[in-house]
Amino acid sequence: MTAAIERPARAPRRAPDELPFTFLTEALVTAISDRHDEPAWMREDRLAAFARFAAMPVEPNRLYTSYVDLRAASLDGAAPYPTAQDSGAEVVEGVHGADDATAGLLVLDGEAVTVATISAEAAAAGVRFMTLGQLAITDYPLFKTLLADDPVLPADDTFAWMARAAWTQGVALVVPAGVRVDRPIVVRWIVGEPRTQIARTVIVLGEGAEASVVEELVAGDNLVPGGQALLSLTTEVRLAADAKLALASLQETGPDQIVFQQRTARIGEGADLRWALAQLGGRLVRSRVDNVLAGDRSTVEQTEIVFGADDQLHDLTSYTRHVGRDTTGHLLSKGVLLHKARSYLKGMISIEKTAIGTDSFLGEFGMNLSKAARAVAIPSLEIDQPDCRRAAHSSSVGPIDESQLFYLESRGIDPDDARKFIVLGFLEPVVARVPLEDARERLREALEAKWTAGSAGFAGGGAATAA
Amino acid sequence: MTSTRDLVKDERDQYAFHDDIVYLAQTKRGLTRDTVKEISAFKNEPDWMLQFRLRAYEHFLKRPMPTWGGALNTIDLDKIVYYRKPSEREEKSWDDVPEQIKATFEKLGIPEAERKFLAGVGAQYDSEVVYHSVREELTKIGVVFMGTDQAMKEHPEIFRKYFGTVVPPEDNKFAALNSAVWSGGSFVYVPKGVEVPLPLQAYFRINGENTGQFERTLIVVDEGAKVHYIEGCTAPIYATDSLHAAVVEVVALAGSKVRYTTIQNWSNDVYNLVTKRAHAHANSTVEWVDANTGSRLTMKYPAIYLVGEGARAEVISVAVAGKGQHQDTGAKAIHLAPNTTSRIVSKSVSKDGGRATYRGQLKVAPGATGVTASVRCDALMLDDQSRSDTYPYIDIAEDDTTMTHEATVGKISADQIFYLMSRGLTENEAQNLVIQGFLEVFTKELPMEYAIEFNRLVKLEMEGSLG
Repeated sequence: MTAAIERPARAPRRAPDELPFTFLTEALVTAISDRHDEPAWMREDRLAAFARFAAMPVEPNRLYTSYVDLRAASLDGAAPYPTAQDSGAEVVEGVHGADDATAGLLVLDGEAVTVATISAEAAAAGVRFMTLGQLAITDYPLFKTLLADDPVLPADDTFAWMARAAWTQGVALVVPAGVRVDRPIVVRWIVGEPRTQIARTVIVLGEGAEASVVEELVAGDNLVPGGQALLSLTTEVRLAADAKLALASLQETGPDQIVFQQRTARIGEGADLRWALAQLGGRLVRSRVDNVLAGDRSTVEQTEIVFGADDQLHDLTSYTRHVGRDTTGHLLSKGVLLHKARSYLKGMISIEKTAIGTDSFLGEFGMNLSKAARAVAIPSLEIDQPDCRRAAHSSSVGPIDESQLFYLESRGIDPDDARKFIVLGFLEPVVARVPLEDARERLREALEAKWTAGSAGFAGGGAATAA
Repeated sequence: MTSTRDLVKDERDQYAFHDDIVYLAQTKRGLTRDTVKEISAFKNEPDWMLQFRLRAYEHFLKRPMPTWGGALNTIDLDKIVYYRKPSEREEKSWDDVPEQIKATFEKLGIPEAERKFLAGVGAQYDSEVVYHSVREELTKIGVVFMGTDQAMKEHPEIFRKYFGTVVPPEDNKFAALNSAVWSGGSFVYVPKGVEVPLPLQAYFRINGENTGQFERTLIVVDEGAKVHYIEGCTAPIYATDSLHAAVVEVVALAGSKVRYTTIQNWSNDVYNLVTKRAHAHANSTVEWVDANTGSRLTMKYPAIYLVGEGARAEVISVAVAGKGQHQDTGAKAIHLAPNTTSRIVSKSVSKDGGRATYRGQLKVAPGATGVTASVRCDALMLDDQSRSDTYPYIDIAEDDTTMTHEATVGKISADQIFYLMSRGLTENEAQNLVIQGFLEVFTKELPMEYAIEFNRLVKLEMEGSLG
């Protein structure tokens, strides 16, 4: 340790579950509401949400309180954007640039909405894809219903209340009953300067509607080294009977960013939801997914991967509540950890008394590739109805399978390549589920690039090398 | 089916006994610093033990009541008699045991049924060991098996070296309580290289309304030695709540092997809040074989800290939760040394509104390389009034750990019952057979007479619900 190196003054020590910012106050919430001259109901909704937020601990679930760690975040400098929902640009119909693979594209870069398009076909079918500000202008009653009258956000999620209190940006996708959007819809959030962006995304599929969404969280080119930004996003999904939604999310924000994600889905009778979630970027990521299988025969498939390196912490929780009869839940979380990365994979399956004939499975699998990496898996079951087809979870943590390595090497594959193939193959389940070719390829490249960067020096004298 | 019910009731009555004993010394209800001093004075303890008790008492006051697990708010700690002494001195021979107490044990079937199988008998009546018989050959090979109080006086060096080292008073609220007011329990010391040929057994029970039992067991197994310790308990049925807060410490020194078997069948008004922990040193093996069928609430997670290289841990945990019962049980394996292995198997049955919870922890600390660990939890729910939960915590901080975990929850399939009934069994018998099969992983580890008794207990529990 050389004394010559100047170190910045250390921030005061915080408890692991202490919020990393102090700017979120009732005054801020009121100011947001004032600035946009919001109607009374909305202001009340914000203030009520703020009261809930202020009264709750960061982690209200006693099962998980010992696995909360927000210490990597220090966001007091990351003041919220002053923008609000009305800042969204008007959506341009039928303008897609050279890209015909998508049915719509929204690009939200910091406080600006830089692209807002929808294909002529989708627009003609009555699909609405726009900022929440635009929705308020074009369909005020629906806007009010989705945001305040009939919210799906869980009551026990502190950060969902935070979003409801202080959101200033949002996205809406509304697909009318019976409409099938056959190309993916893309929402891209660009995070650059060290600011706080709190936003809501609302997705509604009418009866029998079908859509696929690709959400991309990417780094802007105006990143400030060491500057932390907070991106706090909700995704509020409502699926009416027999609706089908595939939602892929690629989180590739910069190395210092803090990301909070609150995703909730209320899944109606016979409806089908498929999540494919990839976590690569960020310094600290806290994600929570709530699946409520409310309708009979509803299904959810949730596939989630984490590729952590350096000192990243990915803290992922999922709650799957079976309420209707004959519902199906299939959840798979996989993590690969390099360096000092940590991943907390927490999953809760609840089978309520009404949920006869449930089939529910949760798998949590980790691959620790460095001695300093740490994988935590807490797969839980709470069951009130024994009459189920299946209620099970399984988890494992282990190194690269030596026999797989041996097999590949015996086929003449270089050991470094063999390792890469095994790791990327381990993460492939999410990649394969990304509905957009371009995004899929980019995710593959990102994973490979992360492996190449992260495993440098590791393959040689690394910890996983068999003696 | 009324005849079955009557039969069940009759059998249960055998265990629901209560004798009026003249207590020679007892403390006032409730717990104060003076009570703690009084207990220590009654027992003529050395000063270090008084100081230990007072330190524990101070911590007990400071420590909040746990808010997780079961409902503890109905325990009234001020109503409990923390110490009572049924007879003046420890009895050496069966003939010296007071007639009335002896009659109680007769009902439990100890002397005739068990004596010839057992190496020694440590029977606990209320808060003091009243009976101890140690077979001559055990004394000859240097095995010490006596009441904990007696051991403190007769083997002060070894006692003081290990007492409170595995479960410090500050470990949890009830360990602190036990440390402050403990009395009774067993002490076992097995010298280097000695294999105890037959299981050591302590049979104990709670008697006396609102009598707290705070026994303290310490088992030290020296290098290369081997022992199997068994505790089983029955308790009379009372209307008001009894508290049982024991601490069991096991020290398995290098190369030793310890198995600790428990059949817990407290009456359904007892709060059973027990801290059981073992330190497994290099190349030793520690096994907890733990069954919980009784009590109103049990919170017990037998733990093994694998502190020495090559240590092995095994926990087999079984819980049956009937009407009004909550079995919050599980296991902990904490890997602190390289090349250690652990295996946890948990089986639970819930019925008639009972709740069975598996709560476990598997931790691999940095530096504990080459760990192999597995956790398996299976739960059976016999009706939809009951509840089953699984909360496993898995925390891996090494890259070459091999860990697997699996859990399933289900009911007895109609096919199984139909098949057995087609072979001439009644529905009741069929169900019993399936449950016995489900729990066999536990029963097969028991000595023969215990296996019979355990199967009978389970049958009683089950028949109480059917008919």
